[in-house]
Amino acid sequence: MKPSSKSGLFFLLFPALAIYLFAVVAPFFGTLGLSFFRWDGYKSPTWAALDNYARAFKDQVFQSTFVHVLVYILVTLVVEVLFGLILAGYISSHKRTAFLRISLFIPVMLPSIVIAVLWSAIYNSDYGILNSMLANVGLANLQHIWLGDTKTALLSLCVVSGWIYSGFFMAIFVAAFSRLPSEVIESAALDGAGAHQIFRKIKVPMIQQSTSVAILLCITGGVQGFDLFYVMTNGGPYNTTEVPTTYLVKTVFANGEIGYGSALAIVISMVGLFAALGFRNWQNRKEEELEY
Amino acid sequence: MKSIKRFSSALIYLYASAALLPLVWMFLSAFKSDGQISQNPLGLPTHFDISVFRESWSDGGLGLYAINSFIVTFATTVIVLFTSSMAGFALSRLKFRGNVLIRGVFILGLLLPVQAYFIAQNQIFDYLHLKDTRLSLIIPYTAMGLPLAIWLVKTYIDSIPKELFEAARIDGASDIQTYRTLMLPIIRPALVNVIIFTALGAWNEFLLAILYIQNESLKTLPAGLLTYSSRYETNYQLLFAALTMVTLPMVVLYVAFNKQITRGLTQGSLKG
Repeated sequence: MKPSSKSGLFFLLFPALAIYLFAVVAPFFGTLGLSFFRWDGYKSPTWAALDNYARAFKDQVFQSTFVHVLVYILVTLVVEVLFGLILAGYISSHKRTAFLRISLFIPVMLPSIVIAVLWSAIYNSDYGILNSMLANVGLANLQHIWLGDTKTALLSLCVVSGWIYSGFFMAIFVAAFSRLPSEVIESAALDGAGAHQIFRKIKVPMIQQSTSVAILLCITGGVQGFDLFYVMTNGGPYNTTEVPTTYLVKTVFANGEIGYGSALAIVISMVGLFAALGFRNWQNRKEEELEY
Repeated sequence: MKSIKRFSSALIYLYASAALLPLVWMFLSAFKSDGQISQNPLGLPTHFDISVFRESWSDGGLGLYAINSFIVTFATTVIVLFTSSMAGFALSRLKFRGNVLIRGVFILGLLLPVQAYFIAQNQIFDYLHLKDTRLSLIIPYTAMGLPLAIWLVKTYIDSIPKELFEAARIDGASDIQTYRTLMLPIIRPALVNVIIFTALGAWNEFLLAILYIQNESLKTLPAGLLTYSSRYETNYQLLFAALTMVTLPMVVLYVAFNKQITRGLTQGSLKG
């Protein structure tokens, strides 16, 4: 329908649009603009054309952040999405699962700072429970300074991430499984398919759309991940857990390089966007192939 | 066959118990002295003294942080609720020039991560002397919540028969009257989801909270806990007491409303 009056339409749209344009759209174009300048935030900015971007492509620490994030995404695909899928498979084929559903989802609710501080304590080499549990079961030789060792730091962070989000993806998959028509599953069971077969051959293929979304969330979430990295390791030891966002915050707020940081911000956002679009494209093409 | 089933059940419950262990350890450690924690990390507390919670709440400043978080979260949620339902209604039901463009601009917001704009946002807030005020969090949290909220409201209204709105129009109601008396009650289920992910997002947000607020008396819980945890780095018991105090209400909240919260959070992410 047509709006009843121009002023009414304005009244409905203006507040949302004003806040959003002021706090997201304008700053986005502002950041894009700043990326073409050299600026420390105090002296007047000087035009840099594409110099900041050229520097970003030669910056080895910045490049390494994408390697770390790629490792992180690949591991979290297993410990978040795959674990979530297995847990959901169990829950959707059993009764009385409230305890599992609730206890595994609770970490999703908590502020990331609580999780970061708690897990820093767990990994702590003086009083953390991980090392003391290893000692108790006779595996003291596996003890590490988990977050301080270049070999274990990144993987230790992946474990925390899995602890949080496996419950989240579990919830997504439980919802997807519950929407499946029960006739299909019952008739497969009548035909003699076991629970395991039904899960792998029928249920999982049928919720493919949810799995795609979950993988997409895992990719974009990985590229944007900040809180855990910042609090638990802040890039260390020796930059082995430096991810794009922690490097960005360091560049802007510790080194005061606003122009260069803006270019990094644009590059990170574009990489995230293209990774997501690329994955979606690849998924669509795969679906088309299946159809023909 | 039976034994395989038992084995997988045992495995799943073992996993869930292991997943709960960090939270249990945190809770128990809040009742142990620093010495007990460092000498015997796995030991059980000998007595349950709750004075440590009082100390962390008042001397540690946790109470103040919680109040600040509450104010920011409440304001953000109320503003998102009204502005998104108004805009979602207009974008779903009203025909006007620019509708598609405005929709597109909001959808862009679903794709932009905070990193894409927070540098210039920081400069703008600096310039306007907004930093170190509650508005410096309420405004961006609202703006970050809007695209998804509008999207959820709009798709919900799209599914309501348009005759309903046309009938209201024939009865002589203006758009704003229709919004107030007809729309708001109908879209309540969509608004519950909006409340859940907006409130939780604002309550837990970390990056902007540490960048925009330096004033100790205005810090929200996530930023405040960061200061707290470096201040009491070696005071383990106080650290665990604070973590426990932030965690317990959320656990209670989740146990009470787990269906709604799970739906609100998962739906929120699926649409994005």
